Amino acid sequence: MTRAHPLLVRCGFWLLAMGLVLALWQAVVMIAHVPPYIVPTPVETIAELIRHAGQSGALLWQTFSETIAGYLLGAAIGIVLAVAMSEIRLFGRLAYPALVTSQAIPIVGIAAPLVIVFGFGMTPKLIIVAWIVFFPVVVNVMDGLARVDPDQINLARLLGGSAWRTFLIVRLPACLGPLFSGLKIGASYAVTGAVIGEWTASSKMGLGTYLLSANAQMNTVGVYGAMMLMTLIGVGSFSALVGLEYMATPWTHRSTAPRWLTRLRGAPRSDHKE
Amino acid sequence: MPHAPKLAICNVRHAFGANRVLDDVSLDIAPGEFVCILGASGCGKSTLFNAVSGLLRIDSGAITLDGTDIMGKPGYVGYMLQKDLLLPWRTALDNIVLGAALTRGVTREDRAQAADLARRYGLGEYLDHYPGAMSGGMRQRIALMRTIAAGRELMLLDEPFGALDSQTRLAMQKWLLEIWSGLKRTVLFVTHDIDEAFFLADRVVVMLPRPGRIARILHVDLPRPRDIACMASPAFMALKAEALSLLYGGPDPSASMSGAA
Repeated sequence: MTRAHPLLVRCGFWLLAMGLVLALWQAVVMIAHVPPYIVPTPVETIAELIRHAGQSGALLWQTFSETIAGYLLGAAIGIVLAVAMSEIRLFGRLAYPALVTSQAIPIVGIAAPLVIVFGFGMTPKLIIVAWIVFFPVVVNVMDGLARVDPDQINLARLLGGSAWRTFLIVRLPACLGPLFSGLKIGASYAVTGAVIGEWTASSKMGLGTYLLSANAQMNTVGVYGAMMLMTLIGVGSFSALVGLEYMATPWTHRSTAPRWLTRLRGAPRSDHKE
Repeated sequence: MPHAPKLAICNVRHAFGANRVLDDVSLDIAPGEFVCILGASGCGKSTLFNAVSGLLRIDSGAITLDGTDIMGKPGYVGYMLQKDLLLPWRTALDNIVLGAALTRGVTREDRAQAADLARRYGLGEYLDHYPGAMSGGMRQRIALMRTIAAGRELMLLDEPFGALDSQTRLAMQKWLLEIWSGLKRTVLFVTHDIDEAFFLADRVVVMLPRPGRIARILHVDLPRPRDIACMASPAFMALKAEALSLLYGGPDPSASMSGAA
């Protein structure tokens, strides 16, 4: 009775969905005889990316590293802020309106002053990505912390739990689900942040800068290639998070603790029915 | 009473605003005794429970455990609710050792002892199960194991089987008695189920609402170990009839109160 692992099944559907989109794109362009300088086919675009694999790889790496670094920064700030805002009530009340306001400023509007302050290096890009990513994380984690059952907290008090241990053992794990929701939303927006960062401030060529210059040179295949790679970063980080969430929350899809976990902790295992 | 009381509740009064929930409640519980508090909702049984647990500071009166004042001091007694409050991300075993995790960190020995305890009472197959994968009855058993493992000599149980179906509830009651007789802990058990109260307890404290007060304390002289069959015995029926008339009024020659309905 071999059944496909549920994660594999999900992966399969993802690949199938993306394959269908690409096939549709290919079919429309071919049937309507759209010239390649207006819209190239995906086959042409991918072939072009492979032909210039070295350059594609370098561009991908540049934008990917901006995205991931800014993302990690934003996620970390988001978690710390959420905890601080939930635990220190006055701070939370003061900071919440400020956070909401921060998201009301158009991100392009933030980019320019950041360049004036930090110059053309990595810093403004990191800040832009983090700016976008931290918000869904803060909101979701705060929500998770607020929703812990008060009876659960009472129980921890009655068991003699210190505030710190109660936080670590009872409250923090309860936010894991909401945290991952926030992280997944952030992952799909993070690339946009990196690209906007490159458009306003770049000393190094990334996918965003490349896209602008390809566009200026009427290099349509190049534009589509850059777009495809940006999408790949977004979809890739989202999928990585889905996998990470799956690993980090075994109780949501398993009835028993994974064997490696019980072994790692030296916990006695269940008896088995004969 | 042969011993000094384990728990002494003296002249406890409490009000939420104008609502007097506890009016001069006094009760002594001997070490190793099993006492049920029986009453309809609103009789103050849960308030009394929260007062003894230390979660609620009462307006006046005294509550002592082995002579020590425990008013407003959580952490002296074990505690279990109708909600199992198991942490979904911890296995059954990790939930049982939650007390140790919250106070000093879990050792290998804690885990081994918890596993022994669980195996002794028929939960050996469920040690590494997550609560989400267990039935309501199984979850309540784990919650009770968690209460026992916390090591408090007095355990407060507030309608722990209230959410279970009647078949499971009966099995749980028998199981609880088996554990109680093995462990020699003192139990204060709150319920609104008359059969449950008399089946389990040495004494049943019948409480009445508005204001919450003790109507009478009934001694249950049924032999132990008790079997389900004892619930059909004349002695059981007589106790039940007395409780019914106390709770719902009706013909009771010795009733000192007016027949409130």
